[in-house]
Amino acid sequence: LNAAPGRAPRQRVRFLPTPGGGGAVELVAARVPVLADHPLVRGPRFRKLKIGAGHRLDVKASGVFVLGIGHGNKLLTDLYNCHLTKVYTVGGLFGKATDDFSDTGNLVEKTTFDHITREKLERILAVIQGTNQKALLMYSNIDMKTQEAYELAVKGLIRPMGKSPPIITAVRCLQFALPEFQLEIHCLHETQQYLRRMVHEIGLELKSSAVCTQVRRIRDGVFTVDDALLRTQWNLQSIQEAIRNCQLKVETELEKTLG
Amino acid sequence: QDGGGLREAMAGVARRLLRRGLGVAAGPPSTRQLREAEEAAPVFQYAGKAARRKDRVFVWGFSYSGALGVPSFVRPDAGWKKPRRIQPTPYHLETEEKISSAACGYGFTLLASNTRDITKVWGMGLNKDSQLGFQRSRRDQTKGYEYVLEPSPIPLPLEKPQQTRVLQVSCGRAHSLVLTDSEGVFTMGNNSYGQCGRKVVEDEIYSGSHLIHQLKEFDSRVVQVVCGQDHSLFRTKKGTVYACGWGADGQTGLGHYNITSVPTKLHGDIAGVNIIQVSSYGDCCLAVSDEGDVFGWGNSEYLQLASVTETTQVNVPRHLPFNIGKIKEAACGGTGNVVLTEEGNVFVWGYGILGKGPNLIETAVPEVIPPSLFGWSDFSPDIRVAHVRCGLGQFAALTSRGELFVWGKNLRGCLGTGRKEDQYFPWRVTVPGEVVDVACGVDHMVSMVRSFT
Repeated sequence: LNAAPGRAPRQRVRFLPTPGGGGAVELVAARVPVLADHPLVRGPRFRKLKIGAGHRLDVKASGVFVLGIGHGNKLLTDLYNCHLTKVYTVGGLFGKATDDFSDTGNLVEKTTFDHITREKLERILAVIQGTNQKALLMYSNIDMKTQEAYELAVKGLIRPMGKSPPIITAVRCLQFALPEFQLEIHCLHETQQYLRRMVHEIGLELKSSAVCTQVRRIRDGVFTVDDALLRTQWNLQSIQEAIRNCQLKVETELEKTLG
Repeated sequence: QDGGGLREAMAGVARRLLRRGLGVAAGPPSTRQLREAEEAAPVFQYAGKAARRKDRVFVWGFSYSGALGVPSFVRPDAGWKKPRRIQPTPYHLETEEKISSAACGYGFTLLASNTRDITKVWGMGLNKDSQLGFQRSRRDQTKGYEYVLEPSPIPLPLEKPQQTRVLQVSCGRAHSLVLTDSEGVFTMGNNSYGQCGRKVVEDEIYSGSHLIHQLKEFDSRVVQVVCGQDHSLFRTKKGTVYACGWGADGQTGLGHYNITSVPTKLHGDIAGVNIIQVSSYGDCCLAVSDEGDVFGWGNSEYLQLASVTETTQVNVPRHLPFNIGKIKEAACGGTGNVVLTEEGNVFVWGYGILGKGPNLIETAVPEVIPPSLFGWSDFSPDIRVAHVRCGLGQFAALTSRGELFVWGKNLRGCLGTGRKEDQYFPWRVTVPGEVVDVACGVDHMVSMVRSFT
């Protein structure tokens, strides 16, 4: 960044004396660069960068992780206040229960799982969605008796705009091949450990047990996996390009939600 | 040199011991040890091959009348229990048999099972007019209970008790109807307006009465019985409708405003029409034909029939010309009505909390409730409403996924949402299971639920 050509030094009009003969000293106007802007005086332009992180991602989880640089930190705070949903793909395995709900934990119990069918799993997912739908309406702090609450509920725009416990807005089963299954979860204010715990509780509901094998965030607000940079792309060019591509999306979203 | 030799000897001994497995190496278990321990762990089985989904009954609402069937809510049987006047959320009611049909009256409930056992119908709640039959009191063998706190069997005078099955039950303000498959309809309770289908006896004392009347004279087998507040409607297999009881609001639909004590056939706009469903709970009645038309008669003070007439009482069935599609099911409440169309849309009209926010209090023309309020979205586009039911001031809708939505006046916690406020738009009730059917009363509700797994 420091190697890139920086700002041109400011120019100033100065009246400099001309070297003339004895007698009257003449002043000639000349535009000269300000000495204070000289690179040897100023030093390197960037000595440190402020980088902030967006929503947290576990050590055991993977996926989209949003970072902000410089002015982006303020945008990060604004995006946080928008309370947008995040989308995860969660992989699970039936038959085991561990103490930290993931497949690397200490084994607590092993159970049979051949009685589980896709219909039973989808029924449980429907119930989870239903109870969380209620939580969505309750934590949004809108008075249910008003006409505007009814209108927002019809459009599906009621969302908690403050602190709330984790809420799941949508779940669906992507793959089901005993003993493995994969879910797509849209959620708000969650932690990855909460999602692992949900997989464990789904296992209990189905009269068996389940552990979570994979948690991968595929969308964080407006940022999707397509916008994300891979490990091999962590260089200045790609980062600058990514920032440029996302600028418009972030602006429109902030304007739409926060006005 | 001697010390060094001794150390080497000790190390050699230790190595030999380790190799033989007598000295255990300390430290965290290796991956292989973990894997072996895991494979050796026992496997537990919680659900076998014969595990079936269980059928349960959930009740909620006002409990002091005994209508919920939980005696400990009214008379606590343990010191730490407190009397519970209102049960705000669904409560599991233990029943002996699988309940196939339930009905809520004004302060009492009937549960029926289609078993061939001798006990087919249970009742609980208010029994001041013997609407639950005669429940012999244990303290005084000559008198009956006025409040029945637990589901108690109702003895029906069946000719073939081990062959007849009870198909459906229905409850009104102070009377109840039991429909059987081969022995007609049994009626019990208050008959001061002839709603039990027998002649009105002056100064009859209904409390502690043993009388259960049997009705058999219809043009064909009765397939549905419906109780209004003080009248009864019978729908036969041929598609005709019979009525008896109070008629001052025209709810008997027989062309006059008098009491009818014998079930009489209705004519008017439904003459010759094959009716597939009848509904009533207050003083207004609706009937749905097989072609998707809806007919109404009875009280119209709340604009229920204002689309066809300005009079507030209609005593002859009139066709309601709504252009909302083919109608599949209709339900009548005290002041509002609701219909369900073939596409799965729910239309409401009448007076009161209709479900479209606090601004819509009355309308004579049906208005649709947006499907997104019932859980329909781009993520789940195949959810539709399967059934609609009405209580006196509240509505209930069952979706194809087995979710129950309620809205209306939350009288004594009858909505089951857990909150005390009225609900102005459909709200999900959290029931631990798939709701198969629901019956709405004045201040309580009963639902039949199947567990998930």
